[in-house]
Amino acid sequence: MIRTQQLFKKYQDGVSETIVLKHLDLEIQTGEFVAIIGPSGAGKSTLLYQLSLLDKPTSGEIWLDEVRTSELSEVEKTTMRLNKFGYVFQDYALLPELTATENVMLPILMQGVEHHEAQKKAERALSRIGLGDKTKSLPSQLSGGEQQRVSIARAIAHDPLILFADEPTANLDSANGRVVMDAFSEIHDEKQTIVMVTHEPEYAKRAHRVITLKDGRIVKDERGG
Amino acid sequence: MKKIIERKREWLRALRVGWFLALRQIKRSNKGTTALIIFIMILTFLNLVVVSGLLLGLISGSFEQYRKSYSGEVIITPAQGRDYIENSQALITFLEYHPQITNLSARHGVNVQLLGTLNDNPKKNERPNRVSGRLMGIDPIQEEATTNFSKYVKYGSNLNPNEEGYILIGATLLKKYSTYADANIPGFDFLDNVDVGSRVRVTIPASDGEIAKDFIVKGIVKSKVDEVSTRMFVLDKELKRLLPVNKEQYQEIAIRTDYANAPALASAIKGFMGSYAARIQTSDEAIPSFLRDIETTMGVLGNALSSIALIVASITIFIVVFINAITKRKFIGIMKGIGIKPLAVELSYVFQAIFYGLAGSAIGLLLTFGMLKPYFSANPIDFPFSDGILVVTPWSAGIRVAILILVTILAGFIPAKIIVRKNTLDSILGR
Repeated sequence: MIRTQQLFKKYQDGVSETIVLKHLDLEIQTGEFVAIIGPSGAGKSTLLYQLSLLDKPTSGEIWLDEVRTSELSEVEKTTMRLNKFGYVFQDYALLPELTATENVMLPILMQGVEHHEAQKKAERALSRIGLGDKTKSLPSQLSGGEQQRVSIARAIAHDPLILFADEPTANLDSANGRVVMDAFSEIHDEKQTIVMVTHEPEYAKRAHRVITLKDGRIVKDERGG
Repeated sequence: MKKIIERKREWLRALRVGWFLALRQIKRSNKGTTALIIFIMILTFLNLVVVSGLLLGLISGSFEQYRKSYSGEVIITPAQGRDYIENSQALITFLEYHPQITNLSARHGVNVQLLGTLNDNPKKNERPNRVSGRLMGIDPIQEEATTNFSKYVKYGSNLNPNEEGYILIGATLLKKYSTYADANIPGFDFLDNVDVGSRVRVTIPASDGEIAKDFIVKGIVKSKVDEVSTRMFVLDKELKRLLPVNKEQYQEIAIRTDYANAPALASAIKGFMGSYAARIQTSDEAIPSFLRDIETTMGVLGNALSSIALIVASITIFIVVFINAITKRKFIGIMKGIGIKPLAVELSYVFQAIFYGLAGSAIGLLLTFGMLKPYFSANPIDFPFSDGILVVTPWSAGIRVAILILVTILAGFIPAKIIVRKNTLDSILGR
């Protein structure tokens, strides 16, 4: 489904150069739940940004099915992010002026769905992750765990091909972290492809495939139960 | 074709999402900040409309006074090179039966000399206490109905149709009341020691000598219109008897009608009279051209000040939107990250800017038409040559609202564009 070919990324700051990803070859199939782990600075988040088309690799290629993403314009990439991807950010990334439902509705509206239908879809997504009673709450009225679940609802409401999650439990206590991970497990049970970056081995075990990065290289790629 | 339809669809979606975001951001933003921005927009609107409106109003006030206190909506005077309006009586009959004329005042007029001190016996090298001026014969009842004349009799009292031997003198002719008296302008004489109750002598030149008659000053007429305050007034029937010739012919006829109807009425009168017999003008045509020049200058000045107000407004909106967008840069990045089109985000800021512009303009319009315009109509600004009013029409205000909104759209769009075009990932990560 998504495949990288000699993916290379370096950051240049004046004369100093930092190589973050070193010619990675990786393939993720439909329906997989992949956890990317590794020490700080290993390049986990950078890899996620490349895969999710939020950033451009310095060289190498990313293929989404038969689409060579380097050939896409910025507008086409935005459209692809809207229609094919879902995102869960570390710090929830909800818009403070929008209620839970409105936050979830936003990408659905952008897809051109009618307001009423978008609202119904958003409420369904919120109910699916156990927040059916918080639809009208603003982010400031929700706990961290609830906000992250709203973020998950936003990411899945428009039925994306791949759900990307960047350290989704990093800002949560262990109880809320477990609730969020339960939500991911349930979503994956419904055949959702998930690519998650985490530094917590306990949560990585929930995935069926764990890729370990170190110094910009894949040092381990384990498939489990 | 398919591409065009798809682009149109994209635009509509962006509009819808932009509107969705803007509405919620306005609804849930800090109320104090919103009130402050709207307050600034109200001040900007007032600056646009009221400052230029008052500048124009200073001169338009003088036009209005000219019309109300002297000319009426249509004024008939002798044709070039003539001493009187030809066929005055037939014309009066025509006018009296014209359905669109509400009132008219026919005036005799003659150039006279007015001697202020009857026992005047100037010493050698001293000039007599005498001025030259225009003496008008009026029917006080007709004049009152046409120009509300008694309003301008500031000292003493108005003429009484049944009392002869009295005169009203324009304040500009009297040293005691004239605002020019201290200026010592060569050739500009004033009567000294003349006030209400004084006896004065009017001398009318005639082919066989002079006609002189004494009058008692009954009142002093003061107006910001020279045609009123530089003249003298007596009963028309009395002046008619004094006139040596052409007693049945008038020198001025002021006509009241509906203002909008004045050009049509003037044409109708021209059709009746022919252009050789009299000069028939609407009040707007009769206004001296230098006043029109002042009006143009005021208009230019008003537009210059309005432009400054517009620049201030655009900078205000620019700063507000820029700060708003820069503090939300992370969220803008997130929106772009999850696939919200940059255009939708930009439009959300444009809609917010339009809201501020519209709210400020709407309240500004209410204040202008509900409060300021009636206030200045009731309490005009006391300007030396006019009573300044606020000149603003729904049309001119509408144009200014449109300009303000246009500027607001630009001032909202540019900063939003600057922030939105920043790299998505950098915005999300706050780099």
